[in-house]
Amino acid sequence: MTLKALLLKSLRTRESWVIFFVLGIIMMNYPFISIFNKPLSVLGFPLLYLYLQLGWLISIFVIYLFTKANHSANKGNDSHKGEQG
Amino acid sequence: MVSAEMVWGISLLYIALLFLVAYLADKRQREGRSITSNAVIYALSIAVYATSWTFYGSVGKAATTGMDFILTYLGPSLTAFSWWFFLRKIIRVTKENNTTSLADFISSRYGKSQWLGALVTIISIMGIMPYIGLQLKAVSSAFSIITGHPDFHLRFMDSISLPSPHPGFFSALILAAFSVIFGARHLVSSERHEGLVAAIALESIVKLAAFLIVGIFVTYFLFDGFGDIFQRMYEKNPIMLEHLITFGDEPETSYTALFTMLYLSMGAIMFLPRQFQIMAIENPSEKHVTKAMWLFPLYMFLINIFVMPIALGGILITGSNLNSDYFVLTIPLQTGNHWIALIAYLGGFSAAAGMVMVESVTISTMLLNHVIMPIVIRLEPRSWFPELLINAKRVGIFLVVFLGYFYQNIVGGTYMLVTMGLISFAAAAQFAPAVLGGLYWHRGNKAGAITGMFLGFLTWFYTLLIPSFIRSGWWHSDIMTSGPFGLGFLRPTQLFGLTGFDMWSHSLFWSLFFNVGAYLLLSILTPQEEKEQEQARKFIDVFTPDRGKAPYETKRLSKPVTILQFVNLMAKFIGEPQAHAAISDYIGNREIDSQGGVSEFELPNLKRFIEKTLAGSLGAAAAGAVVESYLTDIGSKMESVYDIFSTVRTSLDQSREALFVRLRASEIMNRSLDLEIIMKDLLELLQKEFKFDLCIIRLVNEEGILTVHAFTGPEDQQITRNNWVPEIDTHIGEAFLSNRAEFVNDTRYLTKQKSREIMEREGIKSFAHIPIASEGEPPVGILSVFSKSIIGLFTEPFLQLLSSLAGQLAQAVKIVSEREAKEKERQQKEAALLENARVVRDMEIAKQIQLSLLPASPPDLPGARFASCCVPATHVGGDYYDFFIRGKETVDLIIADVSGHSVGAALIMVETRSVLRAQVPLTTSSSEVLASLNDLLYEDLTRAELFITMFYANYDAGSKLLRYANAGHNPPLIMGKGAAACIELDAEGLILGINRTVSFEEKLFQLHEGDLVLFYTDGIIEAQNEGGELFGVDRLCLILKNMALEEPDRIMRRVLAEVTRFAGSKPLEDDISMIIMRID
Repeated sequence: MTLKALLLKSLRTRESWVIFFVLGIIMMNYPFISIFNKPLSVLGFPLLYLYLQLGWLISIFVIYLFTKANHSANKGNDSHKGEQG
Repeated sequence: MVSAEMVWGISLLYIALLFLVAYLADKRQREGRSITSNAVIYALSIAVYATSWTFYGSVGKAATTGMDFILTYLGPSLTAFSWWFFLRKIIRVTKENNTTSLADFISSRYGKSQWLGALVTIISIMGIMPYIGLQLKAVSSAFSIITGHPDFHLRFMDSISLPSPHPGFFSALILAAFSVIFGARHLVSSERHEGLVAAIALESIVKLAAFLIVGIFVTYFLFDGFGDIFQRMYEKNPIMLEHLITFGDEPETSYTALFTMLYLSMGAIMFLPRQFQIMAIENPSEKHVTKAMWLFPLYMFLINIFVMPIALGGILITGSNLNSDYFVLTIPLQTGNHWIALIAYLGGFSAAAGMVMVESVTISTMLLNHVIMPIVIRLEPRSWFPELLINAKRVGIFLVVFLGYFYQNIVGGTYMLVTMGLISFAAAAQFAPAVLGGLYWHRGNKAGAITGMFLGFLTWFYTLLIPSFIRSGWWHSDIMTSGPFGLGFLRPTQLFGLTGFDMWSHSLFWSLFFNVGAYLLLSILTPQEEKEQEQARKFIDVFTPDRGKAPYETKRLSKPVTILQFVNLMAKFIGEPQAHAAISDYIGNREIDSQGGVSEFELPNLKRFIEKTLAGSLGAAAAGAVVESYLTDIGSKMESVYDIFSTVRTSLDQSREALFVRLRASEIMNRSLDLEIIMKDLLELLQKEFKFDLCIIRLVNEEGILTVHAFTGPEDQQITRNNWVPEIDTHIGEAFLSNRAEFVNDTRYLTKQKSREIMEREGIKSFAHIPIASEGEPPVGILSVFSKSIIGLFTEPFLQLLSSLAGQLAQAVKIVSEREAKEKERQQKEAALLENARVVRDMEIAKQIQLSLLPASPPDLPGARFASCCVPATHVGGDYYDFFIRGKETVDLIIADVSGHSVGAALIMVETRSVLRAQVPLTTSSSEVLASLNDLLYEDLTRAELFITMFYANYDAGSKLLRYANAGHNPPLIMGKGAAACIELDAEGLILGINRTVSFEEKLFQLHEGDLVLFYTDGIIEAQNEGGELFGVDRLCLILKNMALEEPDRIMRRVLAEVTRFAGSKPLEDDISMIIMRID
């Protein structure tokens, strides 16, 4: 992989962290959360409870995927890992 | 109920287990096989975030206000997204600066400010008080719930009737002791506490397992799964369920309150002192962050998954949400499952103990480094300091824990667990602006950070902490309702009339408003000190360490300090073995001079290393102060180097000024070939550009003395007349001999006596001697520059520039001297040629004169014809022949050869001729002539170490009789008419000049008509051909025989031609002379 490609990759990765961070905050905030803030029940679970728990799980999974992707992208190139951090 | 002894026993067993784990971890660390250095342990240790609050409080919160409990955990989960760039940056900075704590981190960033460190410490102690109180309350409450006795009570205590302390006292005592043992064994606080981390990780496993066991027990054993609990709750109290599963409108669960909670928890995970400690300072490797980023949120998710079911289950079982904080314990107890309750108790104890341990160790470190240390370092360093410091740290731990105990005594009964915890979160949030700004904003400065943090803290204190005291009834005051001094707009929970908010949002808004506002405003309005700027660069550009850093050292120590002095200083604070270990790491393969010091350019680095090492124990601010005050004591200080290049150094290697000077210098070199002009112009350039008071160029002469060739500056200085023999006792000699620039930045600290005297006399403050040398060649001279006003003039780049100029000059000197040498050689050659030509001309004249001394033509004698010639091998020769006419019919023939054919021989020949001419008329016979000649010439010949062979013959044409005598000459040849061979005419006689008296035999020979007589010199017969063969008498004879009838002239030419042909390309080595006589 060329240096340029690596650099682009790292940059892209760092920016996607910021994007997901901001996205997470938005999804936890008014007005987004008000969509789910209703006394409804889905499959026996309260809607808000389900939204928060599932959303949480998904976010953890997303982080997991990202770190995996990052890990394989940086494989064999540990010394440069995150120099752009 | 479970018996108190049982709980005590289980607790002690558990503590023993923790000790064992910690001991093993410490042991492995010493052996270099760390067990805590992996991502899972790291993630588990971060889970120290989950305290009693999580374990007990979340359920309480869920049972009273509902879903909002989850935000405290969603916040940190979200923050994990930012760890990739944020946490890793913090970790990198802490590793590079040997940071010991959050206070150290913040104070380091803002110019190692001691005030800032102390402020962060105070905020931490005050802010964390409720949080520790919460833990103590939870532990003691749990104990009393599970045993029915108050706080760690044992039955025997009744019998000895101890004064009954407040609840939580024993918990505090146990936890504090625990923390001291785990966290305050060594002084070096930047070192990782592996034992502590291992214990925390184990506790995280225990609390998670305990909570999951209780959760599964409640959800699946007491009830029939999640759906069942929600269903039953809906059936029992739909209004309450709706309230719990949605965010409502009342202040407690309004959107504003929710988001406040979200942001508070996001701040808490990063800025709570213990989180910072575990995540950054105890971090074993940056790489582990990646895995912890999803492991930690997963942990949070798991420990919260059963909170809602337990809370609802508790309400269903107990019928209300009263005392819901301890549902985790009360549900198993009420349903008779004591073992499950015991497990839950253990989980809760784990959660509390972990938090108290890390928090108290962290804060006591801060207290030590930022409050006690600044006082201690003002004292004279003593050998018992390390002992004092470690004990101060232990006392600090007790202090922190008992402040928490004090708070929970006052407020504990009034507030729920979560409420107490959130007060601490709000305090931790005050660090956010300074830390975030510090890591990403270069302008953020000390004034802004101190003021912002202080205002934020005051606001927090006024709007959160004071109301908690008032509500608990500990402090009776009506400022809550009517404001201080009746000023309604100053009511703590409705500051400036801001209403409609819950107290968290209200406090967070105002505290951050003042905090951020002051930080931004002062950062923009006030300037940064240089030290702050340097630190800011270190923090913000930590991933690109080369950017923004000056390429060269810009500081110098005014008086050099030796390594030993620094080691002694370090030993006083961190102990001798540690100091020696640290310094040997540093020295590595650096160059150390004979006095045990490092080079002047290395000194600032050494100083920074000492600071960094001390910072590992004392914190950066105190370490900086220790080193500074030590330097002041020995009369040295850190000062800026004189910036000779007026433009600010950029990342380019050379400033514009340096380039300009180089350019001008090469112009000077190329403009002229006259070395004097070059040197003079170069010195003037140096003096003009760099404000030197004196510049001297000395070049080494043939005797090896450095001689002044050019200088600029005052005319009548003695120094400009000093010519030096390069010796090691002067700086100039050292520079010349070592071919390395010698410089002294402050002549007050000169060690060479001779140099010192000169510099004192001339009033010189700093100087440098730069060898004038081309790459890889010995120096040809020294360029010396002196300043009478500037100390610390010579920096690395400046010396490099001067050296490069000296190198250019060396080239010029070399070119000029080469040209001069060539010129000299050419002149010498020319003179030699001229001299040669003159000699040749003289010799030519001598030759002519000599030839003119020989008879111009053979004599005219009846009955005989003559031919004669002389061919000198060089210009003049030693051969001689002559004729003396004695009468009408008689002639004397002489042929002689002076040995050698030099000028000497020629002169002797001339003398011989003169003597002969005088003697001939006085003598009658040939032998008589030779004898008298020998007598007369003997002296001169002996002196000249020469001798003469001569053949003297007297021919009477009438009788055709030849009388002759021979002084060692080649016998002449006679070729009789029709004879087959030559006859040699020989007679006894010694060579002239050997003996004074010699008698010569005189012989007679009768010639006949047609006879040929050849008198000759040995040049003919000794002529050699290329094969080394001699011409010889036989060949000569043969010519005579073959040409017996020819004219003497022709014979003579033939002989010459034959000899020349025989010799071929070889030049004649000897003169050739001959007389040919033909008898008619």
